[in-house]
Amino acid sequence: MGTDLLLPVVVLFAVLVAGVYLVQVFDGIVASALSGIPARDHWLAPLRRGAWLWLQQDITTEHPDALNWRLAPMVYFTLAALGMAVIPWAGQVVAADLSTGIVLWGSVEALATVVIFLHGWSANAVFPLLGAYRYVALGLSYILISMFVLIGVALPAESLKITYVVLSQQELWNVVRQPLGLPLFLIVGLGIAFWGPLNFADSADLAGGTAAEVSGPHRLLWTVARSAMLVAFSAVAAATFLGGWLGPWLPGLVWMVLKMLLVLAALLLLGRVLARPAPERFLTFAWVVLLPLAFLDLVWAGLEAL
Amino acid sequence: MSWLQRMAGEAPVPVYVARGIDASHDDLAALALDANIELVATPRHAAVLLVVGTVPAKFHDGLRRLHDQMPRPATTLWYRSRPLPEFDAPHTLSKTDRLAPTLTDLYRTLYGRTPQPVLLPDRPPAPWRGLGDYGQGGEGMMGGTPYGRPMAMTDDDLRDGLQLDALGFTLGPFFGPWAPGLLMHMSLQGDVVQRVSVQSPPFPQAPPTVFGAALRGAVPIADLELARARSHLFGLAHSLETAGLRSLALRTLAHAARLRPGVDIGLMRGWLRRCGLFASVPPGCGQLTRTQAIRIGGTAARAAGQPMDARLEDPAYRRLGFSVIVQDAGDCRARWRQWLGEIEQSLALADRAAGENVYTDQTEVVETPRGRWRRGAGIADASAVLEELLPGMEWSEAMATIASLDVAAGEPGEGGEP
Repeated sequence: MGTDLLLPVVVLFAVLVAGVYLVQVFDGIVASALSGIPARDHWLAPLRRGAWLWLQQDITTEHPDALNWRLAPMVYFTLAALGMAVIPWAGQVVAADLSTGIVLWGSVEALATVVIFLHGWSANAVFPLLGAYRYVALGLSYILISMFVLIGVALPAESLKITYVVLSQQELWNVVRQPLGLPLFLIVGLGIAFWGPLNFADSADLAGGTAAEVSGPHRLLWTVARSAMLVAFSAVAAATFLGGWLGPWLPGLVWMVLKMLLVLAALLLLGRVLARPAPERFLTFAWVVLLPLAFLDLVWAGLEAL
Repeated sequence: MSWLQRMAGEAPVPVYVARGIDASHDDLAALALDANIELVATPRHAAVLLVVGTVPAKFHDGLRRLHDQMPRPATTLWYRSRPLPEFDAPHTLSKTDRLAPTLTDLYRTLYGRTPQPVLLPDRPPAPWRGLGDYGQGGEGMMGGTPYGRPMAMTDDDLRDGLQLDALGFTLGPFFGPWAPGLLMHMSLQGDVVQRVSVQSPPFPQAPPTVFGAALRGAVPIADLELARARSHLFGLAHSLETAGLRSLALRTLAHAARLRPGVDIGLMRGWLRRCGLFASVPPGCGQLTRTQAIRIGGTAARAAGQPMDARLEDPAYRRLGFSVIVQDAGDCRARWRQWLGEIEQSLALADRAAGENVYTDQTEVVETPRGRWRRGAGIADASAVLEELLPGMEWSEAMATIASLDVAAGEPGEGGEP
C-alpha cells in the first residue's frame, strides 16, 4: 500500500509544482508574442517575480477578517491539489481512485466559490468586495455547465470513477464522441480559475479585484493557487476528454502530461485574446445559450451510450 | 545583498503612476512599452511610486495616502513634479529619456536604502469604541455611522428593486483607469452604480503641441493627422486594457509609437473585432443624448451622429477631400468604431497631405482629438455628463464608458496659444 500511494502522490506534487511554474512561463510567452514586446528571459521571469513577492511586506487593510483573508489562498490551493488527487496519471498511478471522482471534482468547483468570495469579502475594502460579489453571481453558471458536461462523459463509462472514464475512451476520445463537451468545459475552466475573459473576480477594471489589496507572500500564494487551479482543471479535462494516459509508443504518464499541457496552453492563449464581457452579459449568455448547449451535450451523450 | 534580493531586483519594476497636471501620454506609453517596467493597477502591487507632473495642494494628502499604501521596500520618483516637503532627499527627474533607466536603478538598489518615511499616522480614521446594546457601535442594528464608519443599510435600487446594502466610496484623483484628477463619489448596490457625484473634475489636458502650433500659424496637415491618430490609438489601448486585454493594449501602443502616414491598420481592425471588445458591452451602453454629445464634442459627438468637426472650416482640408465620419448609435461601441474610422481616415489624409506638402489654412480654430478648440477659448470640462450617464450601469459598463469618453477640459500647455 505504502509504495502504491507514494508514486501517485510524488507525481501529483511534481506536476502541480512544475505546472504552476509552466503557467507563468507560458503566459509570459503568450503575452510577449501578442504585445510584440520581447521579455528578457521567460524561464527566469517567474522566479524573479516570486523572489520579489517573497521579500515584499505583507500589507494589511484596516480591520480585515484576518483569519479568512490568510486562509483563502491556502484553501484555494488545497482545493486544486484535492481535485488533482482523483486524476489517474497512468493506468495504476492515481492518488485516490474514488468511485465518485467526478463528484469530488464537482465539489471542488462549488467550494471554490466560497473561497473566492471569502478572499474578496475578508479584505474589508471596496474593490475586493466587488470582485467577490461578481464571482458569487457567476459561480453557479459555471458549476451547472460543468456538471452536465461531466455527467456526459460518465455515461459511456457507466461510472463516476475517472479511471473508468479514461478507459471508456479506448475506442474514441470524448472530445470527438461528444463534440460540445470540451469547448463548454474549457469555459468552465476559465471561470473557476477566473482567468482571461472570465476573470470577473480579479479584473483590471477593479484594479485587481480580490487581489487589489494583497501584497508580498500573500499575493504570491494567491497567484500560485490560481495557477494550480488552472493546472488541476487541465488535468481533469485531459483525462475526461482527451483520453488521459491512452496513446501509442510513449509511456502513459508522458501522454497524460502532454495532453494536460495542451489544454493549459489553449486556456492561456484564450485568456489573452478574448475581452472580458460585462458580467450580466455573460450571465445571460451562460444561462440562455451555454446551459441549453450543455443539456444538449448530455442528451447527445445519452443517445450515443444507448 | 542576498542572492534572493539580487534575483528580486532583476524582475520588471512594478510602478504605480500618480498623474498630476500635464502628465504626458507619450511618456507613459513609452514606459508601458518598456520590457523592464510593469505599470500596476494598485499601489499595493507597486515598488515605485512615480509622480508625474504638478499635483495641486488639495490632493497632497491623497498622494500621501497613496504613498503609504505601498508595501515596503518602496521608493518614490518625482518626474517633472515638486516633491512633498516630508522627503529629505527626494529622487527627482526631468529628462524623458532617463525615465525608465532611473526607475530601474532605483528599484535595483531598493534593499540597500534607508526605508521611506511614513507620511500619515497609521491609525484608524475613527476610534473603534463600543456603543449600543450589543457593542455594535450604533444606535440600532443597521444604518448610521457608528465608530465614524457608515454601517450597512438598505437603499433604493435602480435595477430590479431588490434592496441591498448601499456601498458608498470616493475614488480618485489618482485612479489609473480614470482621467488624472477626476475624483468621484459613487454609491453602488451589488456592482450596479446608483449615484455618482463629481467631487473634482479631471485636470485640464493640453492637446498634443502641434494643435497649439496650428493656432499660431500654418502647420503640416500630416503632422496634425498623425497626432490625432496617435491620440485615438491611446484611447483604444486604454479601452482594451480596461477589458482585460493588456497584451493587445500594448500592441496598440506599439502601433501608436511607430505610426507613419498611409500605414494600413486593417490587421488591427481584424483582431479588434475578433477579440470581442465590441461585444463585451451591450448595445446602447453609455449612449449619449444629443445634448450630452454636443456638450462633450469631438469624437463623442461624431459617434452620436453630430457632424461637428472644425476641419470642415479649413479650405486646405476641403482640398484634400476631407469629409466627416459619423456613427449613429452614440454608445461605447460607436465611439470605438469612430476612433478606428478616424484613425484610418487620418492616416490616409496624412499620406495625401505629406505627398502634396499641404499646410493648414485656418488658424482661428482647430479640431483637436478632444474636440473643437477656438483660439482663446479652450475646451470646456464635461465631466458632469458622467453624473447623468453612469447611474444604472454595472461597474464594468461604467468603466468601459469612462474609458471610451474624453471629458477633461482642454487648455494650452507649454508653448500653448498665441
